[in-house]
Amino acid sequence: MATANDSVHGRIESARTELTATKTAIGLAFVAALGFALLFGQDPMLHDSMHNFRHAAGITCH
Amino acid sequence: MLVDYVLRGLKAGLVAGLAFGLFVALVGNPLVGLAETQSHDETGHHGEGGHHESVVSEAVTGAVSVGSGVVWGVLLGVVTFGLAYYFLEPTLPGASDTESYLLAAAGFVTVSGAPWLVLPPRPAGVEQGLPTDVRTFWYATMMVVGAAVCLLSGYAYRRLEPRFGTSTAIGGAALAFGLLGVPVLLAPANPTPGVVSTDLAASHRGFVVFGQAGLWVVLAGAHAWLVRRDRDGGPTAEGRRSAREGPQAVSSD
Repeated sequence: MATANDSVHGRIESARTELTATKTAIGLAFVAALGFALLFGQDPMLHDSMHNFRHAAGITCH
Repeated sequence: MLVDYVLRGLKAGLVAGLAFGLFVALVGNPLVGLAETQSHDETGHHGEGGHHESVVSEAVTGAVSVGSGVVWGVLLGVVTFGLAYYFLEPTLPGASDTESYLLAAAGFVTVSGAPWLVLPPRPAGVEQGLPTDVRTFWYATMMVVGAAVCLLSGYAYRRLEPRFGTSTAIGGAALAFGLLGVPVLLAPANPTPGVVSTDLAASHRGFVVFGQAGLWVVLAGAHAWLVRRDRDGGPTAEGRRSAREGPQAVSSD
């Protein structure tokens, strides 16, 4: 039974029907913002509070 | 269906995140503090200062760092095992457990391994030669390169396997990682002007590598377990499995 889910393209297609563009945009923006804050955020308040975490995770961005 | 995958990634991420948060609390916080005092003693105060004069108290740093560790695990779980696994599952080689561990290895290379080739983990309090924005640029670049090399490696395996067999395909997939050497050669050196104890540097590196590798192993293990649980029972899982594997897979057990 060849379903639409058998290939990467099929997965992309089914994700497209499952989610609206707005939902996708909000989700990706949230994930990107969180990732950026954890990895690269340089605001002194942000950076100094996460200092030990960054060293423990080997993120050398400061 | 995507939502199910993201939720499963979130659960696996929570397990790994809590484990990593515990690691930060028990090992990370005390060790980073120790490294900082030690390098202060050895190099004294140096020009830039930077993160030595913290704007928040040590307790806040400790607490937020533990929280960040948990969020880190959750984020990696959602992105790797929620999103990437959903899109790549049809093309990942091996049984479902292997899929999880392969994806975790690719995640480790992307998020940590490749960037570390240019910017290896340094103990706290060590002054670095390159300015912050240059290091951020290279860290981000190496993440992109790492992800691309992992995808290329998987693609090479897929193309080679049917024609030349598994061992050649594994060799081809491994060769793709050699491409990581190109940006490493192009990247600028990051000297440490101060005196750094080699013992301190080595133990710090070991602790960081252990932490991140452990995080990915826990993440993959939790995810593989969740996938198995979803396949073995539950009405929604049954529907998902029949959609994915066809009716014969349902009747086989």
